[in-house]
Amino acid sequence: MSISDFLRGSPDGVDVSGPKIVCSFDVGGITIHLTETIVLSWIIILAVTLLLLWLTSDLKTKDISKKQAVAEWAVKTVYGLVEDTMGKRWRWFAPYIGALFTFSILGSLISMLGLRSVTADFNVPLTWALITFVLIHGTNIKTHGFGGYLKGYVDPVPVMLPINILSEVATPVSMSLRHFGNVVSGMVITSLLYYALSVVTAKIGIAFMTIGIPAVLSLYFDLFSGFMQAFIFIMLTMVYISNADGNAET
Amino acid sequence: MDFLSIDVGTILFTLINTGLIFLAFKLILFKRIDAILEQRQQEVDGTYQKADAALNAANSDKEEYAQKIAGAKEEADAIIKRAEKVAQKQGDSILEKARHEAQAVREKATLETEREKSLAKAELQGEISELAMELAEKIMEKEINKADHERLIDDFIQNIGEQS
Repeated sequence: MSISDFLRGSPDGVDVSGPKIVCSFDVGGITIHLTETIVLSWIIILAVTLLLLWLTSDLKTKDISKKQAVAEWAVKTVYGLVEDTMGKRWRWFAPYIGALFTFSILGSLISMLGLRSVTADFNVPLTWALITFVLIHGTNIKTHGFGGYLKGYVDPVPVMLPINILSEVATPVSMSLRHFGNVVSGMVITSLLYYALSVVTAKIGIAFMTIGIPAVLSLYFDLFSGFMQAFIFIMLTMVYISNADGNAET
Repeated sequence: MDFLSIDVGTILFTLINTGLIFLAFKLILFKRIDAILEQRQQEVDGTYQKADAALNAANSDKEEYAQKIAGAKEEADAIIKRAEKVAQKQGDSILEKARHEAQAVREKATLETEREKSLAKAELQGEISELAMELAEKIMEKEINKADHERLIDDFIQNIGEQS
């Protein structure tokens, strides 16, 4: 949608679709689609890497610069969050939580640049939820031993086995669908709103509705929702994993 | 792509991408900030240690000086006592010497007096005998009567009185 279309109002219809395929190539007979999601992820990774390099350049112990203060604050905050939620011995987990939080937020907020949210592709939150799933069960086995881990499924009574299995499987499904659903519903609502407003604008001929109202709604659907979902995701990840770790000190 | 689909390729790429962003966080942000925080902690510890060491050194110096001052006082007292003793001794010996000398002087003087006395005695005896001789001569020259005799003796005695 060009600027002139935008100002005139463009009632072309609502286009809510999955991520576009940028290009496809065959690797040993398997077709791999390089989608919008992947390319945008690379852009985010590049931006984050450059940002981190800039933030951590020229570090000093005294008379620190503002960017170093920001970097130190970020690191300490993540460490604090991880230690409070999971205990001190999970301190090493902090970089993953920081990375996941940043990836999730930027993946959602990239929609504010007019691009498709990375997290609006179900595969992305699903991947993160699967990582969490593997970590939960890995920690459980490490803590209780493989026998103890299997015994956990028939706890407290063997009848509970199917329910226990269901609840374990439900964890990644609910986590990924929650994240995906929130972001994608925001995207759909925003698209519908833009369409509705542009229809109104087309009828009146003046672009007063499309300026202002979407910004306010975008504040909730993109900024707040993106932040909330990222936070909820990392909190759930930490809580589930530390629950699996029975030895964790509080 | 479909709106809601599970694509193994996207999942694999997302896995790799998540790994990459994790590595960026771990190797750039956390590693560097951890290192600088550690370094700062060490510097702070070092500063505290230095301060403690300086305080300890100051305290031990203070103690040392106090001991030294106390030692100096004792030494001074000892020196004064020694000096007093020496002075006392010297004074005593001087006094003793003086007493001895005085004794010697007195003895010498007594001896001298004694000698002079005996010398004078001898001289007097000599003169008396001389006078007696003179008297005898005079008696032999003159006829001696009682009156003359008496006058002679009186003269003689008078002579002695004048001479002595």
